Amino acid sequence: MSRTPLKLTAADGAGPSGSGSSDVAVDHVSKTFDSAQGKLTALDNVSLKMQRGAFVAIIGPSGCGKSTLLRLIAGLEDATLGAVYVRGDDPKVFRAKGELGIAFQDPALLPWRSVYDNIALPLQVLGRSVKRADADIRELIDLVGLSGHQDSLPGQLSGGMRQRVAIARALVTQPSVLLLDEPFGALDQILRRTMNLELQRIWMQRRTTTMLVTHGIDEAVFLADQVVVMSAKPGRIAEIVDIPFARPRTPELMASPEFHELCDRLAESLFGGKQQ
Amino acid sequence: MIVKVLRPVAIALAVLLAWELVGHIPVDGIRVFPPPTAILADYIAEWDLYLAHVGETLRTAAIGFVIGNTIAILAALVFARFPLVENIFHGVNVTLFAVPMIVVGPVLVLILDADMPQIVLAALIIYFPTMAATLVGLRDVDPRLGDLIEVYGGGESAKLRFIRLRSALPSLFAGLKVAASLSVLGAILGEFGSGERWGLGTFLLGSLGQANAPRLWGIGIAAAGLAMSGFGILAWINHRMFGNSVSVTMSARLPDSKGTRGLQLDRRLVLTTIAIALPFLLWGGILELTGLSPIIAPGPLESFHYLFLGPESAMAQSALFKALASTVPVAALGFAAGLAAAFVLAALTVLAPGLSRALMPVALLLQSTPLVAIAPILLLVFGRSLSAAVTMAVIVVFFPAFVLLSQGFALVPRAALEVVEVYGGSRLKRLLIVSIPYSTPYLFAAAKLVAPRALLGVMIAEWLLTGTGLGNLLDFSRAQLDYGLVWSGAAASVIVAVLAYQLISVAERFATR
Repeated sequence: MSRTPLKLTAADGAGPSGSGSSDVAVDHVSKTFDSAQGKLTALDNVSLKMQRGAFVAIIGPSGCGKSTLLRLIAGLEDATLGAVYVRGDDPKVFRAKGELGIAFQDPALLPWRSVYDNIALPLQVLGRSVKRADADIRELIDLVGLSGHQDSLPGQLSGGMRQRVAIARALVTQPSVLLLDEPFGALDQILRRTMNLELQRIWMQRRTTTMLVTHGIDEAVFLADQVVVMSAKPGRIAEIVDIPFARPRTPELMASPEFHELCDRLAESLFGGKQQ
Repeated sequence: MIVKVLRPVAIALAVLLAWELVGHIPVDGIRVFPPPTAILADYIAEWDLYLAHVGETLRTAAIGFVIGNTIAILAALVFARFPLVENIFHGVNVTLFAVPMIVVGPVLVLILDADMPQIVLAALIIYFPTMAATLVGLRDVDPRLGDLIEVYGGGESAKLRFIRLRSALPSLFAGLKVAASLSVLGAILGEFGSGERWGLGTFLLGSLGQANAPRLWGIGIAAAGLAMSGFGILAWINHRMFGNSVSVTMSARLPDSKGTRGLQLDRRLVLTTIAIALPFLLWGGILELTGLSPIIAPGPLESFHYLFLGPESAMAQSALFKALASTVPVAALGFAAGLAAAFVLAALTVLAPGLSRALMPVALLLQSTPLVAIAPILLLVFGRSLSAAVTMAVIVVFFPAFVLLSQGFALVPRAALEVVEVYGGSRLKRLLIVSIPYSTPYLFAAAKLVAPRALLGVMIAEWLLTGTGLGNLLDFSRAQLDYGLVWSGAAASVIVAVLAYQLISVAERFATR
């Protein structure tokens, strides 16, 4: 098995003038943090390209920098070396257009706002009219299966319901790029599977370019077109694996030998990456 | 349900009955603990008098409450938005937290007219608790929420608008609650030596010499009742709006800011110098604005000259040194004894949780009682002796420290206690191995909170009762029109309080490293 990241060469030369069909371009990015123990390299010379409409999952051990990578693309961190482009723009420029959607591991809802008002928040921050988006918001509430709960406060909802509010909020601006940072990490296995199915359904409706950071190998294989395996210390891309399964993918797929074979291969890649 | 209502009522009735009986014991009982019926009779007989005094204190306290809180909230907003400004004002904030407010009264009387000293003092005394609580509320927001706003292109003002303002409200109301009872204390302290005709402070000073026990109790209860109804109204609003989940004690430390840690050493030095100099600059600058003669209102330079260089410097130094030598040991003793007692009792509540349930409501009630309300009762019990001053300091230290430390002990993670329990550790072992080390930060928080109070308590007792130390120095030099000594004495008291606060901060850094 070759551990040479084949796709890396394809990302070379990515930039603002990169090919029109690439939505996210990470170009030779390194990121170091200052810590009490000195400099900490979270990402070391990482390059990655995401095609328009792609669903890419990122897996890796703790500390491999997968969340940092996502935060760089969201413009929440700045690269120490290299550059990140989203549709040819700097992430900070791109996100101000309201084209970016994001959901974290924690739903991060405002506890004093209702479900409806939480979903409307990005519109308000962007200075858009909530009234004009009323139909969209109601449709999103239906889409994530929370009909009848639009006036509930987060404290009155279960963990899974809160996470679905966060997903709906990530979609409210009709983003062209969706970033998901372990959004189902805190949910139990059963709920997680349900949410995976819902996410696939939503993604197939909208075909938004999506990056999912996750701990779950099966989740990554089930949802993504491509799985990026990262290794830690320093954070690097170890391998990029294409997932060939047709859509819509059903729960039965997870019982198939092909599915397990891919999961095993990725697990091997993960453990190999750890020993490097 | 009925039992739940009846039990406290029955207990209250039993206490009142016992008090009534004690009050009728000849000589000592009547002299110290007048029966409730006698206090009630005084209220009824002198209703107009009480009403006039209470009304005036309520009026000045309320105006001070509005002014002080407005300034405090605006300051917190500025500090939250511009951390550098907070660094610059650090010295002013610490000073306003630590200053024993009783020293401000005589100084304010010199530069302000009519009821302004009371109003300004009430505003000054509530600035810190409201400012600190608001700032904590504005700063302590979930970083994920901030990320969320950023992802949609929002900056600091969007974060303020959508997150910080709203999430600061519960903390702000917790601060307002403390401020409501403190503003009454401030107004009363402002009446000391002001020559004002009305107000509970004036009423108290006028009644101290009369050996009229029901009157002294009546004033103490009226002052406590006024402060507590303010606290109660705000607590009720707070509870209705946000539930009852926020801390009940005022914060003793400034909330963590980005601080000066990230800055270069030379910039840090400049900032620290400005922070230390600013209180003195404000002192001089404000007096400059009032246009008063430096003889009545000396600035920092004139005061330094008076105390160290001028013709009266030897006399002033010896008077000041004598006062400090008398006050500081008493305050230190009260501080140590009160804090130790609070720590032991709070630790005991871990061993005997029933004790905490019984003591907590009393402690919560008494920590929001204005200190001056206790003074007349101490006079009846101890007379004008040194024990009155020590007891005052212990009482004002004990209750807030106990509340804060009990909260600390209650917040020890259960899992940590259970680890010891699983290996057969007794309650005592759990206390020694887990609870006490865990609550050390609370011990320091409590120490910082109560150190200025110990000083204030002793000075109130000195002014009203014992006629010694710094409290008396201020009262005496005010009466002698020795303005230089008034200002030097006030400045010395503030410096002592700030030094004590800084000393505890250093010890804290050393111990919790």
